[in-house]
Parts: sequence; structure tokens; C-alpha cells
Amino acid sequence: MDLKPSSEPLPGRRRPPVPVKIVIAGGFGVGKTTTVSSISEIRPLTTEAAITSVAAQIDRTGEVPAKTSTTVALDFGCITIDDSLKLYLFGTPGQDRFGFMWHDLAHGALGALVMVDARRIDDCYPAVDYFEKIGLPFVVAVNLFNGELIRDLADLRWALAVDAGIPLITFDARDRLSVRDALLAVLRHARSRLDAR
Amino acid sequence: MSQDPESVDEPPPSDTRPYLSIGGARDDDLTGDLPVSGLRPYLLTSGRAEPVDQTLEIEAQVQTVNPGDGLAFEYREIVQLCTVAMSVAEVAAKLKLHIGVARVLIADLAAQGYVIVERPSFPAHDRNLIERVIRGLEAIV
Repeated sequence: MDLKPSSEPLPGRRRPPVPVKIVIAGGFGVGKTTTVSSISEIRPLTTEAAITSVAAQIDRTGEVPAKTSTTVALDFGCITIDDSLKLYLFGTPGQDRFGFMWHDLAHGALGALVMVDARRIDDCYPAVDYFEKIGLPFVVAVNLFNGELIRDLADLRWALAVDAGIPLITFDARDRLSVRDALLAVLRHARSRLDAR
Repeated sequence: MSQDPESVDEPPPSDTRPYLSIGGARDDDLTGDLPVSGLRPYLLTSGRAEPVDQTLEIEAQVQTVNPGDGLAFEYREIVQLCTVAMSVAEVAAKLKLHIGVARVLIADLAAQGYVIVERPSFPAHDRNLIERVIRGLEAIV
């Protein structure tokens, strides 16, 4: 649906590509920006979005109560799929006090990659809760900071209490192909969810 | 943030509204960063805090179709930028606009026919679309 259906691109220009997106969620410092950087064809950009609701939570990093007027950075990048399709990756802080943003980000998304730091797995709970609630297909991906997994996946799955149908994978946010595979896991999961309907 | 008397005394460029120069620290108002931090966002949107179309997605693609003459500063920057199609989020990031402000301005420009907006479909229900993205990613080596 166009806002202005009667308008056409200037002569010699094609229509803009159709945008699709995958949400990258996880706690602070889990490597969301690194993930986006590894595969984005543009240098990841940051923009600000307003925190529009009062949050009673105390921020882990600064112990400052969230206010109605503060802003939060939103990191994103993109990948051209073909002439008429462009994939956007939006990284969002996966904390309750940023929950206001998730609707915007998740609406129309193909799926989500929930990033986990095995040392601080509770950081990803709000994101898991939210995507479960709205029914967005997601994959939980443990970022291997030093190439090793400090807890085994079965243990992590138990701790996260995610359904057996939710893929739980490991990847390296610094590695382009590893990020590609993590995104593919999200898309294949989304496809199988669609087929299961 | 304390008020700097010197910058207030500085006369603003005649073709911009005075608050656009506050905190900007740039003279080239055509290419300089918009001084939006510390500025109430609705000052840039003629007092409106809501976009004309509130549902404009942050990944929606914006492309200029009519460069327009005599557009106000903040609109002019957008039509100049979007000669190459890009998302609402990219416009916000590149012009250092708050994303809510970018949404409002782009919706205005679209309503007036200066830009077209390619909005996302509902890809979650479109298996072919998912397949295309999978193939596109698989091609990355």
C-alpha cells in the first residue's frame, strides 16, 4: 500500500525495493552491533527512538530509573537480497524498559534472533517472553565470545525454558558466515512454522 | 545543559528558523547535521507529535520523485538524500533526526507527493518471500 499511489518514480528509476526485516534482540553487550556489522553491506547506523512509557525498572548499567523523556539507540544494517528485495537487521536492547520499541520492530518482521551471553542468560528473558507472546518465530543463539561454550546447550535450554521446537544454536557474532547461518536458522524456522499451520 | 550566551547571540541564517542554529555548531545549513539533540522534536514538525500516517514502518523505503522547490530546510534534506531509496531508519540516522521526527516529515512529504514510500508487505505470511531471502543469504560466501 502506497501513501501516494498516483506517484511514480522519476524517469529511469525503478521502484524502491520491498523491505523485510529480522530483529536482533539481546541484553547490553551481548554483541548485537557486532552481529549486524559482520554481515551488513552498510556500516551499521544508529538512530534514536524515544522511550515513551514510564518504566519502573532500574537500569543494570547505571542504576538510573528510566524516564519518559530519554532516548535509546537503535542499531541497524541491511543486506540487498536482489533488485527488489532488501533485508534489514534491527538490533534492539532486549530489556523490559525498552519493550515499547518491540512492537515497532517486530511488526511485520520475518523473525528474530535472540542473542544470549551464556554468562548472563537472564538478559534475554524479556525478549523470549515477548516473541513467545506475539508469536514471532525466533531462534535463540548463544554468542561464542571466545569460541567455546561455557555451558552445554541442553543445560541452557532447560534454564531458558524454551519450547523444544525453538532452535537453540551457537554462533560467532564476529564471523560473517556464522552470522549468515544464524539468520538462515531464523528464516528456516519461520518457514517451517508457516508450513506447520 | 547550561545555556551558552555566545551561541544565542549568533544571528541565525536568514532562511532557517532560529532554533535550527541552536546547538548546531555548523554554518553550512545545507549539509550540516540537524541540531536535534536537546531540541523538542515537535518543533520540527509544525507542532505535531504524530505522523500523518502513524503506521509508517521504520524499514519502509523512501524515494524522491519530485525534488521540490522552496521546501523547508528539514524537508529539503530528506528529498535530497532519498534520490537513492532508503529506509525511514536510514533517513533518521543519516540526518541525525529522532526516528519519530523522521517518520512525521517523511509522511508529510509522501502525502504531498514529493516522495514515494514502499511499505513492507506482511512477509511472515508469504512463503515465497521467505524463500527469496533464504536464497539471497545462501548466496553470501
